[in-house]
Amino acid sequence: MRLRYLAVSLLCLATANAGAQAGKSPELRIDYTKETLPNGLTVLYHVDHSTPVAAVLLWYNVGSKMEQPGKTGFAHLFEHMMFKGSKNVADGQHWALLEAAGGRAGADINGTTSWDRTNYFEQIPSNQLELALWLESDRMGTLTETLTQEKLDNQREVVKNERRQSVDNQPYGTWVEKTEEVLFPDNHPYHHSVIGSMTDLSNASVADVRSFFKTYYAPNNAVLVVAGDIDVPQAKGMVQKYFGPIPAGPTPPPLANMRVPTTVGQEQRLVVQDAQAPAPAIFVSYRVPSAKDSRAPAISLLGDIMGGGRSSRLYEALVRRQQVATNVAGFNFGLADGADMLVFTATGKPGASPDSLEKGMLAELAGASSFTQSELDRARASERFAFVDGLQTTGGFGGRADRLAEGWTFFHDPNHVNKVLGEFDRVTLADVNAVARERLVPTNRAILLYVPVRKTAAQTSSTRTP
Amino acid sequence: MFSRRNVGRALAASLAIALAVASDAARAQTVQPPPPGPLRPYIFPAVEQFQLDNGLKVILVQKHTLPVVEGRLIIDAGAMREPAAKSGLASLTGRLLSEGTGTMTGADIARAMDALGAQYSTGAGFSTSFADVVALKNVFPQAMALAARTIIAPSLPASEFGRVKNQALAAYQQSHARTAGLASDAFIRAAFDSTAPFSRPASGNLTTIGTLTRDDVVNWHRTMFAPSAATFLLVGDIASAEARSVAQQAFGTWTASRAALPAVTNPVRPSTATRVILVDRPGSVQSSIVVGQAGFRATDPDYISMVALNHVLGGGFSSRMNMNLREKHGYTYGAFSGLDLRPGAGAFRVNSEVRTNATDSALVEAIGEYRRIATEAVPAIELQGMVNNLVSGFPNSVQSVQGLSGSLQSLIVWGLPLDFYTTYREKLSAVTPDDVKRVAASRLTPNNVIVVVAGDLAKIEAPIRARNLGTVEVWDQNGNKVR
Repeated sequence: MRLRYLAVSLLCLATANAGAQAGKSPELRIDYTKETLPNGLTVLYHVDHSTPVAAVLLWYNVGSKMEQPGKTGFAHLFEHMMFKGSKNVADGQHWALLEAAGGRAGADINGTTSWDRTNYFEQIPSNQLELALWLESDRMGTLTETLTQEKLDNQREVVKNERRQSVDNQPYGTWVEKTEEVLFPDNHPYHHSVIGSMTDLSNASVADVRSFFKTYYAPNNAVLVVAGDIDVPQAKGMVQKYFGPIPAGPTPPPLANMRVPTTVGQEQRLVVQDAQAPAPAIFVSYRVPSAKDSRAPAISLLGDIMGGGRSSRLYEALVRRQQVATNVAGFNFGLADGADMLVFTATGKPGASPDSLEKGMLAELAGASSFTQSELDRARASERFAFVDGLQTTGGFGGRADRLAEGWTFFHDPNHVNKVLGEFDRVTLADVNAVARERLVPTNRAILLYVPVRKTAAQTSSTRTP
Repeated sequence: MFSRRNVGRALAASLAIALAVASDAARAQTVQPPPPGPLRPYIFPAVEQFQLDNGLKVILVQKHTLPVVEGRLIIDAGAMREPAAKSGLASLTGRLLSEGTGTMTGADIARAMDALGAQYSTGAGFSTSFADVVALKNVFPQAMALAARTIIAPSLPASEFGRVKNQALAAYQQSHARTAGLASDAFIRAAFDSTAPFSRPASGNLTTIGTLTRDDVVNWHRTMFAPSAATFLLVGDIASAEARSVAQQAFGTWTASRAALPAVTNPVRPSTATRVILVDRPGSVQSSIVVGQAGFRATDPDYISMVALNHVLGGGFSSRMNMNLREKHGYTYGAFSGLDLRPGAGAFRVNSEVRTNATDSALVEAIGEYRRIATEAVPAIELQGMVNNLVSGFPNSVQSVQGLSGSLQSLIVWGLPLDFYTTYREKLSAVTPDDVKRVAASRLTPNNVIVVVAGDLAKIEAPIRARNLGTVEVWDQNGNKVR
């Protein structure tokens, strides 16, 4: 299973779904209309009158992979600034107006930043569509006109707290940043985390915000989705009215070279003494083809077969038979360019030796290439269900609007959403075995082992080999 | 991004009000927000009910937008029904349900469910034991029939008991390795009488889980699981006739019986002044803070007013707690309040994860907001905005089958009528500032609250004591007073 919304949000390891059978994918189609405004803004309209709900969602083609050295975490800090008001919207009013209109904080109104993109969304009663479009257009057009040092200082503190809450104060909280540091070479755009370092966050300036806005926040670098209980001609009129006058920005700078060799080249093993961990945990991660590669569906299925759900190989071996772990997971991040990360993780039983956990995990991974058809079928059934399940909502996290925007941003294909199930259906056992044989090799992996320690006021420390 | 936890479920249905919020904000603006268009009606889907011959109540809500169906069986056999000495028994039983039937092992069941692509779980919370299946329409009847076997005739195998018990112990340890888990436990222990089921976590604790035996689990299942004490919720792409046949096929043969049990009470611990309870978690870079009190029910006459009050204080982003602790002071990533309703009595509390060196300042602000809403009238425009959020946002929350089933389950657990959502929106829309003032005056006691802080006491204890917020106690992680 591919993790959606790992981004800078909470780490949800536990969502492992069920697997598969030689059933057929349901016939589903998400219809859309596409237009491009003269300023370069791509707009997708999707109609669904089943509930009086409308969704507005923007994906900007900018993520932490565009950050410059010394500015880690900036794309995400910038995302926070997008909620602090613009020319016609006072600080606090974005939320106040949308909440009074019926959008729920978090689920319906939010922004998220990942390595590859930043998104903003509103899901509101359909009679409030114009309000959401106006708010999005005002910040796309005028964000920095009301920018102040005070607003930046406030959100810098909020983001530092977000980092503490999701990384520094959590057992195993550093695993994502430690994994990407090892799987991607120094200075590779995926080498650093989305949330960034405390030092870089401290150094971010108002001038940085202005320059980032000018560089990336323009209609020609975004896709807008208007979905749900809408009248398309009327919605087009609103979009024209609010987004039409925003001038196109300069062409964003080209992406850094994202290419990396097929494999890491050398096994890396990192032991982390974690004062907050009640039990050992292991994360074994591999460099794999990216989300844009044709093998991406096979990668997700490989994660499922090994660690997705209670019939997966790791669950059966580590939880049921050896009883060294209490839960397991297998998933990829879905990174878009160059390479992706495929992760297998197990949380040890309290008191279990980290050694037995590591040995058990590595033994299973060593045998990961001779899969059976029923294993593949289970994994496919799981992906099929998860995809359809996600389409239940119009907007918000992973709903239909999000899927449409993803297709345009990553594949330049708004119809991508209608191809996902077919791509999973086409993966063969030979495909999965082949990618496992090529990538699940010791020289292509990072082993991260968290070991509990009981020291007062201990900070985590780590040792690296080789 | 912005995320939240521990926020009471926003229930509301929406009729919605076209609200002109902007007046206050618009002072220096050059362009006014566009007004809303004509409102389109929203009607909560029909709730159909029928009963099987064995007494099992079935509730059906059809939703045919996508080929997804959820079946959720809930039994009045949650942790609130277990004896204190066997705290964690319902939860452990819930874990073991999926580990085998007469003809299948746990591994067989997992493979079968996964082969169908069905999301399947069993377990128990405070109020109910449950089995839940969400699946594509074509495989749902098959998955539900199998799930039902794990409720009606689980083998509760001795061979898996030790392992599953270890998983329960591990889950407890993982949740209590977080400041939020420590603070939450200390709060309910302090706020409720020791005889109240809600004074203890539904998971049990290491001591009580440790003493549970397989016989306990078998007895619990035998005495507590019966169709007369259960409700089967069916939601999604399934028509009436098929729903009847699925329910009959899954649960028609269930014959267990059980005597009716009295309603659960959750006596509140008497208290006359604010208590401040500190729990140490060395090395924490953030502290979890909780401020609140016990004793709220959905069946209280002033419940609707309390929902409105909660939302103004901390139910949304632009609520007072978050605007103060996050947007004004930068102490936190988010600050909220929640009405945590339970059978018998629940709790009302504000909570936040705050940076260690601002813990005492954040506490002062949180208690200050609690006091302000308890003692000062809420401006009409502020109340209207937050109430409208609940009223108008409801359709968003029930787009999915899981959203619908969750809304219905709340009604059943809280003892509210199934037609609750047809009038709730009007009732909520009618709440006035006077109503909020009345419920605040009668229910909130800002000078007599439970304050809990879990964090690095070496850094935060002295500054908190210096604030003189109330009687300070230090507890260990098991709820024993240390000093």
